[in-house]
Amino acid sequence: MNMDKHLDVINACRYCFMCRHLAPLALVTGKETDTPRGRALIADQIRMNKENLKNQDYVQALYQADLSGACRTHCVSSYDEVGLVLELRKDIVDAGVQPQPVKDFAQQFINPSFTITGEGDVLYFNHPCIKVHAPEMKTAFDKLAPKHKTIEGNDCGTALQILGYQKQADEAAEKFVKAVKESGCKTLVVPQPAAFHFIKSKNLLPDVKVLNTAEFLLTLDIPKKSGTLWPIDSDFLKNYQKNNAPRKLLEKLGYKLKEFGITHEESYTCGEGSMTMVFLYPENVAKLVERVREFAERYEAGTLVVASPYTKLALRTYAPELDVISVEEAAAR
Amino acid sequence: MLLNRKSYLYQMIKSELTWIVGDDYVQSDDAEKLGHSIDYYWVPEVWHDRGQKLTGPDFIVHPKTAEEVSKILQVANTHKIPVTPWGGGAGSQGGALPIYGGIALDTKRMNKVLNIDPISMTVTAETGIIAQHLEWEVNKAGFSTMHFPASIACSTLGGFIAHRGTGVLSTKYGKIEDMITSMEVVTPTGDIINTLPVPRHASGPDLAQLFLGSEGTLGVVTKATMKIHPIPESRKFHAFLFSNMHDGLEAGAKIMTSRLNPSVIRLYDNPETAKLIKRVLGIDRVGSYLVFGFDGPEEVVDIQLEKACKICSEHGIEDLGTESGQVWWDNRYKFYYPPYMFQLPQAFGTLDTVADFSHIEAVYHAMHDAVKEQYPKAAYIGHFSHWYDWGCMLYARFIIEQPPQDPEEAVALYNRIWDAAIRAAIANGGVINEHHGVGLKLGRMMRDLHGPAFKVLEGIKKTLDPNNIMNPGKLGFSGY
Repeated sequence: MNMDKHLDVINACRYCFMCRHLAPLALVTGKETDTPRGRALIADQIRMNKENLKNQDYVQALYQADLSGACRTHCVSSYDEVGLVLELRKDIVDAGVQPQPVKDFAQQFINPSFTITGEGDVLYFNHPCIKVHAPEMKTAFDKLAPKHKTIEGNDCGTALQILGYQKQADEAAEKFVKAVKESGCKTLVVPQPAAFHFIKSKNLLPDVKVLNTAEFLLTLDIPKKSGTLWPIDSDFLKNYQKNNAPRKLLEKLGYKLKEFGITHEESYTCGEGSMTMVFLYPENVAKLVERVREFAERYEAGTLVVASPYTKLALRTYAPELDVISVEEAAAR
Repeated sequence: MLLNRKSYLYQMIKSELTWIVGDDYVQSDDAEKLGHSIDYYWVPEVWHDRGQKLTGPDFIVHPKTAEEVSKILQVANTHKIPVTPWGGGAGSQGGALPIYGGIALDTKRMNKVLNIDPISMTVTAETGIIAQHLEWEVNKAGFSTMHFPASIACSTLGGFIAHRGTGVLSTKYGKIEDMITSMEVVTPTGDIINTLPVPRHASGPDLAQLFLGSEGTLGVVTKATMKIHPIPESRKFHAFLFSNMHDGLEAGAKIMTSRLNPSVIRLYDNPETAKLIKRVLGIDRVGSYLVFGFDGPEEVVDIQLEKACKICSEHGIEDLGTESGQVWWDNRYKFYYPPYMFQLPQAFGTLDTVADFSHIEAVYHAMHDAVKEQYPKAAYIGHFSHWYDWGCMLYARFIIEQPPQDPEEAVALYNRIWDAAIRAAIANGGVINEHHGVGLKLGRMMRDLHGPAFKVLEGIKKTLDPNNIMNPGKLGFSGY
């Protein structure tokens, strides 16, 4: 089974509680299954008896995982509990026992096609999460860097991989790579942090400079700004890629940054690491947003700045009263 | 109890609980039951590891308020269902295990800081808050709880109250029972009561102290007010290597009886110095590692530190300096993460106890001998981690690298070692436990420890909880 490559994680995490304070979903549901320990116990049950893979209570718990990576970052031994869950999802899909909403949701990402428009040496990936849910991020980028090509059409395999559809994810990635290569661009800007991590971690484009938006904007000469912002870091940039470019950009632009919430370690992305929670488990996202809203109120946070279109969508949907902008919009102000 | 899931009574009770807390906050699925059937106690861990059936709750309920807790307890009384409070679930004594099924009352949704009073220097919070979150929120206001237990990341404020927990800086700032100033408690019959919110009083016995350490057997603590402190201007550490533990104990006791007011002293015996101090801190020396620390205004700290160092220097010591002490402080939690913490297939137990300075060394040796008598191949290591004016705490551990594969044999051996070691501690001036609590693991020895006084505790339990719904079978009280 795919999960077997993470048996060390099961052994380490199944009786360990040391990162539960950073398990975002567990902090709002109170559920043990929303902690790395809870999921490792489930994995252990499956390890001991493969029939348990069909237990829909276990399957649901594994698909609800927030995958923020905060626990892995905190762990002194960096046990990869996120990796374990992703491998378990592959086993679930291989066994054909994934929940029906997951099956339905995955369909839209299978067998994608891509188109390229515009002129320039830089290629901008207009990911569907931005195109459909946060087009203002692209608008801001266009204002700052008007001369570029755009690739769009679908996701590049990220969502499929996160949902456990490895073969289909690889196929989607292959098509994406082909389209990027055909563009002739040697710089690819990926504004969707999940997709950025996917492309970087798989080293899909070794001959292309792959940058997230903040990294790219750091290379431009953008007029100075003023004001105070409360950054909400991206799970994929902070915990997966150890990439601090959004904060660096905001500081370079002259913004004063204030720490949001009670600790830099906690994820306030409202489930960004899962990439799909806002679509598949909106009730959980509503709870995560409520925690952000409470902290914003208690600590009198002003404008929140996010690096991820996912987080922007979640906050806009469940706490429309909050003032939330993207890094791109902060730069284009 | 373990209700038949297909019975209509099961559905009736679930409906009542759902009416109180809402659909999202009553669970009965296999995944959540699994999570609530294992805590940090070695016995359920090995039971799970060997594929044995675990006992879990029938329902997991997540109340948001004391009023909801009260209503849940009233339902439990009506149907005579056991209720087991569950905070972080990280207890090592089995105290949060719902061994008779029924309701696991998970407190983690009651996790708000309600008030920080900078004048009286107190914080009031709901008890489901994880201790690290409480500390972070207090830090935001410029203060500290000074409560830094190894389980700060995973245990709730209520969990510490339940079993009289303690943090690294207990020597100066006290255990949780010294830190808490008042509490709101939901009694087993559903009354919501408050203890007196004053620094001291002569208005009868102190009810707060009755509930501190009651491990969920006398009710559910839903709110607590505790002291907070300014962030100290200076915090310094110093470490020494003593040639033997006896000298380290003498030095530590002298620092305490000189009333130098350290925030922490920790003395590791020779075997633990060789094993864990080497592995975690990278200090590879033969002897007994001792570290102490002071905090407060810098000039005061410097004087205290100098005097404590002088006491140590009266013995044959190697001065490891301030840096070695600081390394210990920086890595104080690392000991408890995998793979540094012991884990299965090892069998291990923390035999923590406390005695006065006149007896603590005898307790150490008596427990050592008891463990070795039961299982000669067991390793025995220990450190003295919480020091008080007239005694200190011993955090001894036994480790068996390859316990029996058969789970029943393994648990029998485990219990035998615990019985022998703790009874040896009691016989030599120690007690059952200093800060992990009693729980399921050690309840059988409560009657021996307290003698006729245990009847007083039983009487209180019976009066407050006539139907015995609250965490039955724990703390030596009768099962369900």
